[in-house]
Amino acid sequence: MPAFALLIGARIASLNLCTDEYLLLLARPREIASVSFLSQDRAESPLWQQARRYPANRGSIEDVLTRRPDVMLTMGGGGRATRLIAARLDIRPVELKAPNSLDDVAINLRTVAALLGEPRRAAPWLDKLAQLQRSRPATSKDALWLSGGGQMLAPGSIGAQWLRLAGLSQRGLPGGRADLETMLVRPPAVLVVSNYRSAQVSSGQRWLDHPIVRQAKARRLTAEGRRWTCLGPLMIGEIERLRAAAR
Amino acid sequence: MNRSIALLSAALVVLMVVHLVVPLAPLLELRRTDPGLATLLLTEIRMPRTLLAAGYGAVLGTTGAALQATFANPLASPDITGSSSGAALGAVLGGYWLGISDPLALAAFGAGGAGLALVALLLLAGRRSDSAALLLAGVAIALAAGAATSLLLALAPSPFAFYDSFEWLMGSFVDRSLAQAAAALIPAGLACALLARRARALDLLALGEDVAASLGFPPRRVALEVVALSAVAVGACVSVCGAIGFVGLIAPYAARRVSRGHPGRALLPAAPIGALLLVVADLAVRFAPAGRVIPVGMLTTIVGTPLLIWLVTGMRRTTTRRFAP
Amino acid sequence: MTSLLKALGVALDGRLNPTDLDLEPGSLVALIGPNGSGKTSLLRALAGVEISRGQVIIAGEDAALAPPARRPSLLSFLPASRDLVWPIRVRDLIALGLVRADSKRIAELLDQLELDAVADRPASELSTGERARVLLARALAPSPQLLLLDEPLSNLDPYWVLQTLGLLRETVTGGCAALVSLHDIDRVEAFDRVLLADHGKIVADLSPGAMLASSELARAFRIERGTSGWRVSRS
Repeated sequence: MPAFALLIGARIASLNLCTDEYLLLLARPREIASVSFLSQDRAESPLWQQARRYPANRGSIEDVLTRRPDVMLTMGGGGRATRLIAARLDIRPVELKAPNSLDDVAINLRTVAALLGEPRRAAPWLDKLAQLQRSRPATSKDALWLSGGGQMLAPGSIGAQWLRLAGLSQRGLPGGRADLETMLVRPPAVLVVSNYRSAQVSSGQRWLDHPIVRQAKARRLTAEGRRWTCLGPLMIGEIERLRAAAR
Repeated sequence: MNRSIALLSAALVVLMVVHLVVPLAPLLELRRTDPGLATLLLTEIRMPRTLLAAGYGAVLGTTGAALQATFANPLASPDITGSSSGAALGAVLGGYWLGISDPLALAAFGAGGAGLALVALLLLAGRRSDSAALLLAGVAIALAAGAATSLLLALAPSPFAFYDSFEWLMGSFVDRSLAQAAAALIPAGLACALLARRARALDLLALGEDVAASLGFPPRRVALEVVALSAVAVGACVSVCGAIGFVGLIAPYAARRVSRGHPGRALLPAAPIGALLLVVADLAVRFAPAGRVIPVGMLTTIVGTPLLIWLVTGMRRTTTRRFAP
Repeated sequence: MTSLLKALGVALDGRLNPTDLDLEPGSLVALIGPNGSGKTSLLRALAGVEISRGQVIIAGEDAALAPPARRPSLLSFLPASRDLVWPIRVRDLIALGLVRADSKRIAELLDQLELDAVADRPASELSTGERARVLLARALAPSPQLLLLDEPLSNLDPYWVLQTLGLLRETVTGGCAALVSLHDIDRVEAFDRVLLADHGKIVADLSPGAMLASSELARAFRIERGTSGWRVSRS
C-alpha cells in the first residue's frame, strides 16, 4: 500500500466516474471538491442524487481549479498531462488503478480513505468485501453476463471474479461475444442481463430484445448495469443481491 | 503579400488573446480570490492550449502547402495523405504499448509514423499522379492507420486506452502541459522554418519537374525533404494533440489566394491562416452544450468536408477547360 | 571561336548513347528524328534534368557544378508539356524564370509574344497555344546562354510558328545558342544546322538543304522525297 501522508480535512476532486465512486462512498460532504459530470447522470451512476450536491467537472483540471482541491483523483487519461499540471498547481495528483482484481478494489479503498485522513473509513467496505470472498459458494452455475450487443465479461477478468462471488461462473465464448446461435443451442443455466441504458435505443439493446435472447431457456437475472461500468465498491451490494437471487 | 501576412498575423494575435482568456468568468473570479492561482491557470493550463492550437494550425497550414506543391495537387494535405493518421498510430504504439511517456520521444514516434505513411503514399500513388489516385491512396492509408490505431488502443494493456481513441483520432488541446507544447512546437517550428526555405524550389515545381530539375532543384530530393520535414512537424504535433483534419487542406488554398497562385510562396501565409482556423475552431468547441465534449477535429471535419467537395468540383471544371483547344 | 556548348560523352542508359556536341554562339540548331529516337533524352541530359554520364560545359562553365542561383543565366529548358496545375497569372509565371524581379523584361516579353491582353489572367485557364507562348516567354526571360527547347512549335498556328522562329533567330543573334527539337521536318530551313537523331544516336549533322536530301533522313524516317513532296519509302 502506498504511503500517503495523512491529510486531515483534505478536499478531494475526482475527475473520473470510477474514482467518483470511492470519493462519494468514503468522503464527507465538505471533503468533496468536485465529481465528474457522469456521476450526476442517472443513467450512469446509482449515486447520482448524492453526486448532484457537488460541482461537476468535465474531466479537465481547469474545471476543478476554482474549487481549490488538495488532491485530485484520476484513472487513465492517456495523452493528457493532467497529473503533471496538477502537481505544478500544488494539487496532489493521485492515480487510482483501474482494478484488475478484487484486491485492487481494496487497495483503492484504502488509498482514498488514507487521503481523507481516516484509514478506518474504508473498514466497513473492506470487511464486507472480505466476508463476500470468504463466503464464496463452493459450486457455481454456468452463467453468461450480457450487456448490449452480446458483450460479455472475459473469464478471469475482474468482472468474472465478482460474478464468481455470486456463485455464477462466466462461460468463455470464442470472440468474447455471445451470439444468437449459442443462445439457442447452448444457453447457460443462468443469464445475467445488464439493464444499462435499457430504455434507450441502441443497436446493442436491439440485440438484447431479439426473440431468441428473450426466450432463451435460462434462468434470468438482471444486473444493475451502472455498477458494472467501474466494477468497484458498488459491486459489493450488487453481488450480495445476485447471490441471493441465484440460489 | 507582405501586407496580407501582417494583417493575418495581427488578427491571429488578437484571437489568441481571446482564446487565452475565454471563459472569462472563472479567470476573473480566481483573480479576485487567489491571484497567484489565476496566473498559474493562465500559464499552466490556458497558455499551452492556446500555443498548441495556434502552433498546430500553423504547422498544418505550412505542411499542407508544401505537400500540395510537391504533389502538384491542391487536394494533398497531412490528413488526406494519411500522414496525420500515421502519426497517431506511431504515438499510440509508443505511448500505450512501449510505455513511452517522454513527450519528445513520443514526438519522434509520431514523426516516424507520419513518415512511413507518406512513404507508403509515394509508393502507392507516385509523386505526380492525378487527383483520384492521390485521394484514394491517401484515404486508404488514413483509414488503415486509423483502424490500426483503434485496434492498438482497444487491445492496449490500459483499460482506458480505448476511450482515449477519440482524442487521438479527432484531436484535443485539453490539459496539455507546457512541456508537451514545447516538445511538439519546437521541433515542428524548426521543421517548418526549414520547409519555408524551400519556397523557391516549390514555386519552380509549378513549371514542371523537368524545369525544376534543370534549374538545380531535383524534384526527387525536394520531395524527400518535404516529406521528411512534414513528417517531423506533423508527427510532433499529433503525438501531443491527436490528428486534426482539413485545416491542412483549407489553409493552403486560402494562402494561395494571398500568394497569387504560387504554391511555394504560399507556405508563409499558410501558417497564420492555419493558426487562425484552428484557434477559432477550438474557441467554438469550448461553447459546446453542457456535458458533451466535441473534439476539435470533429468541427474541422464538419466545416471542411463541404469545402473539400466544393474544391473537387471546382477542379473538375478547370480540367475540362484546360484541355480546350 | 570557342564553343558556347561543349558536350562530351553525354549518355543516358538505354536511351542515349554517348554523344559529343559542339554549339557555336549565335547558332540556331534543329534536332529532328522519329519518335523515340532520343531527341528529348538529349535535351534533358544537356539540361541536367537527369544525371547523365559525360560532361556538359556551357560558356566555359561545367553545368553540373553550377548552383541554382547561377543556372538560369546559363541555360533554359522548355519541356514539351503544356500542363499547368496552379492558377498563376501569366506575368507571374514569366517572372518565375527570372532570378531578380525585372518588370521591363517581362513587359518586353509580353509584347513580343503578344500576351498583353492576357497578362493578368491565370495561365492555366488559357488555350494550349497561349500557354505555349507563356512558357516560351518564361524560358527566354533570363536571357540564358543556351536554350534547350523541346518541340516549342507544336500547338502553334502558322502565324506563331513563324513569329517564334523569328524571335529565336533574334535571340541567338545576341550571342547565345539554341537547340530546338522539331516534329515538322519542313521547318528546318529556318535553322543554321540540323542534327538527326535515331535510336539514341546522332546519325547526321548537316545543313538544312543537305539534311532534307540525305539518305540518313530517308532511312531514319522511312520516307523519301518525291516530285510533289514526301512519301513513304518503298524499299
